[in-house]
Amino acid sequence: MVSLFFVLTSCKDKVEGEPCEPVTAQLSVSVQPVFGSEILYLDSTYSTVEGYGVQFTDLKFIAQDVRGPALQLNDASFFNYRETGIDLFTGEGRPEDFTSLGGNLGVESSINHSDPAAFPNESVLNISNIGGMHWGWNPGYIFIKVEAKVDTIPDGTDLFDHNVVLHIGKNVNLQTFSFSNINWQQTGDMSYHFPLKLDMQEFLQNESQTIDLQTEYTSHTASGQEVLSLKVIENFNAAISEY
Amino acid sequence: MKYLFVSFVVIAVILSCKKDKVEYEPTPYELEIPSHFPDMIIPEDNPMTVEGVELGRKLFYEVKLSGDNSMACANCHAPSSAYSDPNQFSEGIDGSFGTRNSMALINLGWDDEFFWDGRAPSLEEQILMPVEDPIEMHDTWPNVVTELNASVEYKNMFFKAFGTAGITKERAAKAIAQFLRTMISGSSKYDVMYKYENGLALSSSEQAIYSTISLEEWAGYDLFKSLNGADCFHCHNGPLMQVKKFSNNGLDATFSDLGRGGVTSNPTDNGKFKVPTLRNIAYSAPYMHDGRFSTLDEVIEHYSSGISMSPTIDPLIEFASQGGVQLDTYEKGLLKAFLLTLSDESFINNPAFQEPN
Repeated sequence: MVSLFFVLTSCKDKVEGEPCEPVTAQLSVSVQPVFGSEILYLDSTYSTVEGYGVQFTDLKFIAQDVRGPALQLNDASFFNYRETGIDLFTGEGRPEDFTSLGGNLGVESSINHSDPAAFPNESVLNISNIGGMHWGWNPGYIFIKVEAKVDTIPDGTDLFDHNVVLHIGKNVNLQTFSFSNINWQQTGDMSYHFPLKLDMQEFLQNESQTIDLQTEYTSHTASGQEVLSLKVIENFNAAISEY
Repeated sequence: MKYLFVSFVVIAVILSCKKDKVEYEPTPYELEIPSHFPDMIIPEDNPMTVEGVELGRKLFYEVKLSGDNSMACANCHAPSSAYSDPNQFSEGIDGSFGTRNSMALINLGWDDEFFWDGRAPSLEEQILMPVEDPIEMHDTWPNVVTELNASVEYKNMFFKAFGTAGITKERAAKAIAQFLRTMISGSSKYDVMYKYENGLALSSSEQAIYSTISLEEWAGYDLFKSLNGADCFHCHNGPLMQVKKFSNNGLDATFSDLGRGGVTSNPTDNGKFKVPTLRNIAYSAPYMHDGRFSTLDEVIEHYSSGISMSPTIDPLIEFASQGGVQLDTYEKGLLKAFLLTLSDESFINNPAFQEPN
């Protein structure tokens, strides 16, 4: 009887005879780039421990197959700080079904070499939606992009003439991430949010392996760049944490 | 007998009128999208129809769109030049010249931002602008609409395309946009190379083309992609041979034309321009936003040794501090051989894109 009451009241605004659409909670995940304790803005200057000035000009990555303990929340999402800000994705699901989240940083090998034009129009992996994150030939997708300009001479005069281009992909560099005991923040009646941060200071100064932008400034995951490529994407993955 | 004769006349008139009556029976237009291309997203408020494309094609070549009825869209977008202007700057009806080279009209259905500075967010909005630009067609849309309304043929074509009486600038732009979306180039040697490299099936005709690709063309493609070679692929790759972005490609140390920065008022966008497709580049000279380079050799030389540093230079031009990628003569030849594989004669010569009648 109680159930019947709820069904009737929840459908009271509907036209009689129409099915009642269930309302599904929206779960959103964001990634705020930071540099230590500061929010990171593209094209702004930050100081590295070496004394360099660094201006990040592009931060992008692909997250794929993000799922909870039993259900998938998002098949693929594209973080593009310059174009779309801090939003990573919004998916439908109940917070209790996603008490933990895991996924790929990059694109798993089973689809990494698929025709990038053949993904559905709404998929971020369709080349129309992810232009610039696909090499255009067999290696497939670029998993992460870090681009920056660096002033390597700390003489008080700005000269950001040292370009940093770190484009990492290829199956061997695929990373996984996981977050447990997620406390979804309720932002509306049926809206929940899980904020992450991407700490680019930690990216450079990872406690187990650091990156010196003066000497480690370019990788396209090409032959001869394997060591730096792996270090870059490992550090990038480690720099993402709950905000 | 007299009444019988009158009745016959009336019936004959009615029948003759019925025969000439224009019906609104739009025929969906089926785009021929190459198998390795993504879908083209068509605006919901401008579905493709055969009648719309036909009208758009006629309007594209229509001189009534200009103030003195001397200039059509095609004047600055010539078929033989990959629908760009072979002149550095286009001359308007008053003898004025613009400051940017007319862009090639290729695969526009996949673009999101139009003009070199991306100031038009849709093809339909882009099309409206040159007509009223005082240094281009220098007309007014009310005047154009009046002239088109004086033509029974145009009235009928607009009705057939849109099903409503009345010619408007919005409908004219929609029709031209439909026509431009049919202008798809995806049948070059490069397309075969792209499909082969991505493990996509080749048709028998593509197999035949594949067998004609020379070692120099393959080597040029390798150089095009090579980080320590020409390093072109950051901005030009994929089936569209273009990455959607605005870039400062090292043309100048200071900017007389702010490009994208003039639209966004963001200093970090100064000197950036839309990255164009390289498809049919052999036909679309001169090159760059201001048409400063007349030949492909000059373009290659720019990226090889002519890069100018500036605060907004694209970090992807990784050898900028050395002036460029420093190709030798042999490598320049290989790169040019590859660039020529982007020519699609079936696009350039497609009769469906040429002037009607």
